[in-house]
Amino acid sequence: MVGNLDILAIAPEIALTAAVVVLLLVEVNFDPHPRVWGGIAGVGIVAATVLSVFQWVEWSGGSGELAFSGMITGDGFSAMAGMVVFPLAGLSLMSGWRLVTEMRRRGAEMVSLLLLAAAGAHLMAASANLIMLFIALEVFSISLYVLAGFTRSRADADEAALKYFLLGAFASAVFLYGVALLFAATGSLSIYGDPTIYEAGARGIIRADAGIAAFLDSTIILEPGLLLAGIALLIVGLGFKVTAAPFHVWSPDVYQGAPGGITGFLAASAKVAGFAALARVLTVALGANIADWAPAVAVIAAVSIVLGTLLALAQTDIKLMLAYSSVAHAGFILTSLVAGPAGVAGMWFYVATYAVSVVAAFGVAAIVSGHTMGRSPLSSYEGLARRSPFLAAVLGITMLSMAGIPLTTGFVGKLAVFTAAADAGYLWLVILALVASVAGLYFYLRVIVLMYFRPTSDDAITPRVDWSSGIALGIATLATVLIGVVPWWLLNLLNDALPF
Amino acid sequence: MSMNDYLPIAIMFLLAMAFAGVSLLLSRFISPRNPTPEKLEPYECGIVPLQEPVQRFPVKFYLVAMLFVIFDIEIVFLFAWAVRFEQLGWYGVWAIGLFTLLLVETLVYAWKRGALDWNVSSRQRYRRVVAPEAREEAA
Amino acid sequence: MTVTPGWYMALAAVLFTIGASGILLRRNALVMFMSVELMLNAVNLTFVAAGRNLNVLDGQVSVFFVMVVAAAEVVVGLAIIVAVFRRRQTASVDELSEMRG
Repeated sequence: MVGNLDILAIAPEIALTAAVVVLLLVEVNFDPHPRVWGGIAGVGIVAATVLSVFQWVEWSGGSGELAFSGMITGDGFSAMAGMVVFPLAGLSLMSGWRLVTEMRRRGAEMVSLLLLAAAGAHLMAASANLIMLFIALEVFSISLYVLAGFTRSRADADEAALKYFLLGAFASAVFLYGVALLFAATGSLSIYGDPTIYEAGARGIIRADAGIAAFLDSTIILEPGLLLAGIALLIVGLGFKVTAAPFHVWSPDVYQGAPGGITGFLAASAKVAGFAALARVLTVALGANIADWAPAVAVIAAVSIVLGTLLALAQTDIKLMLAYSSVAHAGFILTSLVAGPAGVAGMWFYVATYAVSVVAAFGVAAIVSGHTMGRSPLSSYEGLARRSPFLAAVLGITMLSMAGIPLTTGFVGKLAVFTAAADAGYLWLVILALVASVAGLYFYLRVIVLMYFRPTSDDAITPRVDWSSGIALGIATLATVLIGVVPWWLLNLLNDALPF
Repeated sequence: MSMNDYLPIAIMFLLAMAFAGVSLLLSRFISPRNPTPEKLEPYECGIVPLQEPVQRFPVKFYLVAMLFVIFDIEIVFLFAWAVRFEQLGWYGVWAIGLFTLLLVETLVYAWKRGALDWNVSSRQRYRRVVAPEAREEAA
Repeated sequence: MTVTPGWYMALAAVLFTIGASGILLRRNALVMFMSVELMLNAVNLTFVAAGRNLNVLDGQVSVFFVMVVAAAEVVVGLAIIVAVFRRRQTASVDELSEMRG
């Protein structure tokens, strides 16, 4: 009756939820030192990461299984999502720790929301059912709405939260309508289909839920209107979350308004979770219809790349610059998806390494401009190399990686993504992306020039790096360089991270 | 459907009527009655109102109301389980038990943080529970 | 004339469009918020109609989950709107223009 109940499939979520429950109860009953919250959250994140590694050992490379009545998948894909998202949450927590302690008692809520968002992000990658995916998406998004407006002492934080909330809820509704139309067209919500489920229908009809993919494989739909509308709305809804143009309008305001210590996680986790969900839905459930959605994805990618790069050129605030560049990066990552399953490994590499860079970049911005603050004008980075060589080095390497300079992860990621798209026959998209990458050099290198070749103004403060963000930034930078120099092992590993 | 099926409904109706009637009669006989013109005014004390107040008033219980919405809606899952609880067996009991436990945990947290006592002004609550750092801002 | 599930789905599409245009055209945060709810309920109607049409229970079960998620969204959204309103005494998003992204 209940079928496969493999706890391992949701073990990371269980670990994180347990950590949240314990954290909140301990906080509200004993009001302990923030170090205790950090300890509990750390245990939760480490446990979730280890459990993701177990998942990887169990399922990587093609073998996978459906658990909980075809709701959750255990496969290399979801394990990889956990192995990316949870360490990312740990890094973000460390680099935002000063913000957490400044929030006093509300800091515990902040930590809990971050853990819940991480759990939701992993669940998005692991969902085998579109309604499950919707729930995971909302767990993730609702946590982030609250996080975006956490510092209420500043007026633009609640403005950011409100904009994020309204547009995010709009995007969720669009996504959900896509799910409903897909359901109406195919009669299933299941990405995989679970032949073990038999439902006694209202009129005694026995029916096996074969899943969307099997239905589309075996059926010729004469009037594909519902199906195509459903696919389009799905892509739009998830496009909002990953800040693909033209659905990116919320990102600059939110990245600038959200408390600095948390922006990195906001930006990075949305990319990882959104692209994981997009990849699984598009390549598995709608794999047979790649001819329908690939051109649309290609156009969105092109628009994102061009618009993101052009708008980033004009920014004078590093967070706005990062926001628009993240639109361009969303375009680059989408470029891999036009290749279908062949592009998933490249997508993983790009999205994982980009997420690490984003956390590092926003981490530096948070230290330079303050953990609760939003704005971070470029002028405050002039001569940063003299004031804080460490921060300048971190931001410099991050910028080089985002620009795609060789020997950094950004270069390998772009290479993988562009190769996949070129192999799939989207040469025009690759050429466009290459041109945009060259144009992008300007605004990334400008930051480096400001930091290293401009005199520092007399009244500029010397930013103080606390040890936890120092460690987090160090790890992120080291990973960017090391993986950039020897990327092959990771690329090989990611070939096992495909949806089963 | 025969008339017999309506019998419980009729009994229920009669019981309800009886309960309402008995309550009204009892309060009439038991309670002391000492009416003065002021007591019969819509507003018992203060000056005679000239007009209804039009300005907004603080909705102190909005936090309670929002918590209610959450808990109220979550109960939906209990219905889904209750319909099939025999078929779902112990697995269903464990699952719904875990679910309820998480709800209780939420309630405990909200209670302890003072979200349920709605007779404090929102500013007080903000200072006391939500943001102790606001005290310093105000000072 | 019998009312087939197709009609309900058409009605849902209309409601969804009204909700979406509400988000795009109205400038009061509360009204925009209500528009989101309208969109979600249009989706619910689609789910139920499609489930009925296909003789599958999944549609109705989905509505449960959508309702619960919508309630959670309502609570968070209202809290954010109340916070904004307290600070500025207005719920119009046009006046939320400290940032020009």
